Amino acid sequence: MDLKTIAAALSEIEKKALKALDSGKEFGFDEIAEKSSLQIDSVRRALAWLAEKKLADISEDRKKQAGLTEKGRKYFGKGMPEEIFLNALEKIGGTADFSELREKSGLSKEEFNFALGINKKKNFIVIMQGEKPRIQLTGVSKEAGEESGKELLEKAASGKIGREKFLELKARGILEETEKTERKARINEQGKKALELIGKTGERAYDIQGKVPEIFIGKKQPYAQFLQGIRRKLTELGFVEMESPSIVQEFYNFDVLFQPQNHPARQWTDTYQLKQPKSGGLPSKGIVAKVKAAHETGGGTGSRGWGYEWSGEIAKRLMPAAHGTAHSARQLVKGVNVPGKYFTIARCYRPDIVDASHLIEFNQMEGIIIDETMNFRKLLGMLKQFAVEFAGTKEVKFYPSYFPFTEPSCELKVKHPSLGWIELGGSGIFRPELTLPLGIKAPVLAWGLGIDRLAMVKLGIKDIRDLFSDDLDFLRKSRMVVD
Amino acid sequence: MPSLEASKKDLEALAGKKFRGREELEEALEFAKCELDSIEGDKLTIGVSDTNRPDLLSTEGIAREIRSRYSKDKGVPNYKLKSSGVSLIVDKNVLPIRPCIAAAIVKNIKFSEDFLIQMIQLQEKVCLTFGRKRKEAAMGMYDWSKLKAPMHYKAFKPRELKFIPLEYKVEMDLEEILMEHPKGKEYAHLLKGFEKYPIVIDDKGVVASMPPVINSQTTGKVDEKTKELLVEVTGYNQETVNTALNVAVSALAERGFDVYSVKIKYPDKSIITPDFSPKKIIVSIESIKKLLGLDLKEKEIAGLLGKARYAVKKTKKGFLCSYPPYRQDILHEVDVIEDIAISMGYNRIEPLPVELACVGSESKETKLSDAIRELCTGLCLQEVLTFTMTSREKQEKKLLLPESDFVQIANPVSWNFEVFRKNILPGLLEFLAKNKNCEYPQKIFEIGKCFELDSAKETRTSEPLKLCIVLSGRGAEFTSIKSALDAVCRSMGWEYSLRESLLPFLEKGKQGEIGIGNRKGFIGEINKKCLANFGLEMPATCLEIEV
Repeated sequence: MDLKTIAAALSEIEKKALKALDSGKEFGFDEIAEKSSLQIDSVRRALAWLAEKKLADISEDRKKQAGLTEKGRKYFGKGMPEEIFLNALEKIGGTADFSELREKSGLSKEEFNFALGINKKKNFIVIMQGEKPRIQLTGVSKEAGEESGKELLEKAASGKIGREKFLELKARGILEETEKTERKARINEQGKKALELIGKTGERAYDIQGKVPEIFIGKKQPYAQFLQGIRRKLTELGFVEMESPSIVQEFYNFDVLFQPQNHPARQWTDTYQLKQPKSGGLPSKGIVAKVKAAHETGGGTGSRGWGYEWSGEIAKRLMPAAHGTAHSARQLVKGVNVPGKYFTIARCYRPDIVDASHLIEFNQMEGIIIDETMNFRKLLGMLKQFAVEFAGTKEVKFYPSYFPFTEPSCELKVKHPSLGWIELGGSGIFRPELTLPLGIKAPVLAWGLGIDRLAMVKLGIKDIRDLFSDDLDFLRKSRMVVD
Repeated sequence: MPSLEASKKDLEALAGKKFRGREELEEALEFAKCELDSIEGDKLTIGVSDTNRPDLLSTEGIAREIRSRYSKDKGVPNYKLKSSGVSLIVDKNVLPIRPCIAAAIVKNIKFSEDFLIQMIQLQEKVCLTFGRKRKEAAMGMYDWSKLKAPMHYKAFKPRELKFIPLEYKVEMDLEEILMEHPKGKEYAHLLKGFEKYPIVIDDKGVVASMPPVINSQTTGKVDEKTKELLVEVTGYNQETVNTALNVAVSALAERGFDVYSVKIKYPDKSIITPDFSPKKIIVSIESIKKLLGLDLKEKEIAGLLGKARYAVKKTKKGFLCSYPPYRQDILHEVDVIEDIAISMGYNRIEPLPVELACVGSESKETKLSDAIRELCTGLCLQEVLTFTMTSREKQEKKLLLPESDFVQIANPVSWNFEVFRKNILPGLLEFLAKNKNCEYPQKIFEIGKCFELDSAKETRTSEPLKLCIVLSGRGAEFTSIKSALDAVCRSMGWEYSLRESLLPFLEKGKQGEIGIGNRKGFIGEINKKCLANFGLEMPATCLEIEV
């Protein structure tokens, strides 16, 4: 490309930067920014392009510099430990025992010991030995001209500190050596020629670097999109999605699941109840009679039963589903294939105070696997697979747990790369008192995973309320969840 | 999950094992179905993951489970039980109110802080969980030296009797306690509707307690001077109160105290409590192997059961397992089989992959809503999720609609969440009101469940899936929303009709009722009054249809 074309296609920022260099001297990027009244980002961009087009030369100058470490920045704010030590001692009255001073000064053990040593060395304090040794101020004051810690750190922060002091503070982990690269630019002969041409050529053809109006793409809600991904994964694993009505009979939420009618979880305060409609229908009399018998006497399932009088009226009561297992129960009553795998992501409801970790309306992911070959070891195998599929980890731990409807029961924890061990879900094998009255002879593995928790991890959300975000900006800016 | 406080030293002394490091302690706690929530010096916070095991609600109970894993003390604990010769006479007037009681006397008490803390904690937790908030089991402990045998359990009229309730200084009659004392108010509902209230009282008329409400300050206060205790549990079911008593006194026996029985004289029969004889269940060896998926040898199984505090005898039908009387959670052989797995340690059992080929599929509802979501994002609409629980105020008043019936919560926590939504629109208008400082036009949609009373349904509720679209900004008018409707319907292959309508929240003449087959909906420009109700200034148009 000839120089004329290059000059004609220069962008506004390139032109400004080039003009700022016209004296032919070497300038630092900051200076150029000042001269051209461009933002420093634009200067960097413009000069990178100019250098590429061989209109300017960039040189780099590496400088070693002292800088504050994280610890240093902390002390910069609140003072050096040895000073805090002395101030606290003075406040108490100039004398104190070790633990008193340590407490009053608020220093860590390590800081305290260091401050003790350094102040003793400088003769600011003495230690009075005795049954309970005490620390006492000596009255020796600082040498004239000695800097306070704050002054020292201020100097250090701006790089104006002597080598000896630097090494001392570096050894204490307050300062560190950082390397700073200073970049400078100078216009070259080609550049000068181009600069002359700029005046003569017409307007620039098109500025492809210019700002453009923002498009708000139509996007799925991030949490909804996450759930869609989970559904897809479960269907890939061979699970069939179950219906999950929000309003269910207590029969499905509790009774089929062998939760006795006087169980504390069935109390007013733990679940929502409906004012209207109050009461719904029950399935066939045969099934209801068998569930009743299982509760009362075990009903030939090999169980003792709970030993109380079961009421159909209570079972008929309607409620917003309090857990996803209600839908597994409903599916088992409605009929299942054996072998079969079923799942649902269900909206569940529980009275609670809404805060950063609680919602009164949330989702639970639940499912069952029904087959003659299922057993406890397969349950563990299933959980292990879920850890890989949903949490991307093979590191799992199993814990004994309790649910009224499973035995054995098992809780799953997985090791998340950044969060450490987190609870992923609960599981178990449905009790015979649950399955036999429904005519199901094969073992049923049941599982539930904390899907809201997983979503928060995946979407980088700290406050659970943000899953249902009412912030349009947040939704517009949300990234796609890939995988 | 109930959470307990315990001292590490106390746990180690009772379990007969020192725990070096957190990991070792955690592993031991797993045997007792417990998790270590936190450890600060000697103070442990332990989560008991089995809410159906009242026997684990104390350091003593947890230590008992751990001790059998590391020492020769296996099988059913052998607590000695002597007779105290004391009777507790039940008056027939208490039978209609709170009919069952069990009691024991504990002697040779060596007082310690740990003992006191654990006893108070055990009473509280057992009565809360297993006792169903004192309804099924309420427990009291008394300084036995302050009472005179025989004891009586009988009902008194509200003004007939006075005593000083726990933590009070003055005498109150029974009515006053129920009306004024904080515990009285908390538990008064358990005695509601009765003319008389149950009282545990000694032979000289000294009151021990008014179950299930409150103990006496005079006799129910346990301190370092206490050498002997009377423990009593009341409720509605003899087996339940017996279990709760057993849980308490077996924990005391763990500390080496001596337990003495009490004779409970009911009007028609007498029983001796506590009963320390083991309970029994038969577990088939085949069931164990099948449920766990492990080919265990009989000797191995017997060893694992011993560690879990079962005594095992082989019979033709399988293992006859005796288990301690403080366990009430064993209903079925599967409960015993879980204990075998816990004895092995869940993390020492090798998982087997589930190799079961099934064809997966999403529900019709999911497929339908995903298709429509796809279309809506194609229309450059941002998807929004709102809650299905809301208020009448938003659903009705702000839309200027007349009052109607909703699927309604009986026990709402907040009036913002008292009914289930009939329409999504109010949720989206509320959303817009919170985003007035965001760049316009704002184009949003939600697809989700709505709720209608429907007597034809098993749950008397229908839960139609609805789509709602709202466009807001300058130039948001009927034409633009109708284009959206047109585009969605065309792409879904739905034929729709529009009829003029008179909805109060839409602009007159710029609204219509949508009909797609027998599914209904509305479309139109939102009028000024409705916009103002939601605090909106920008014009907005909307549609909502059942899909």
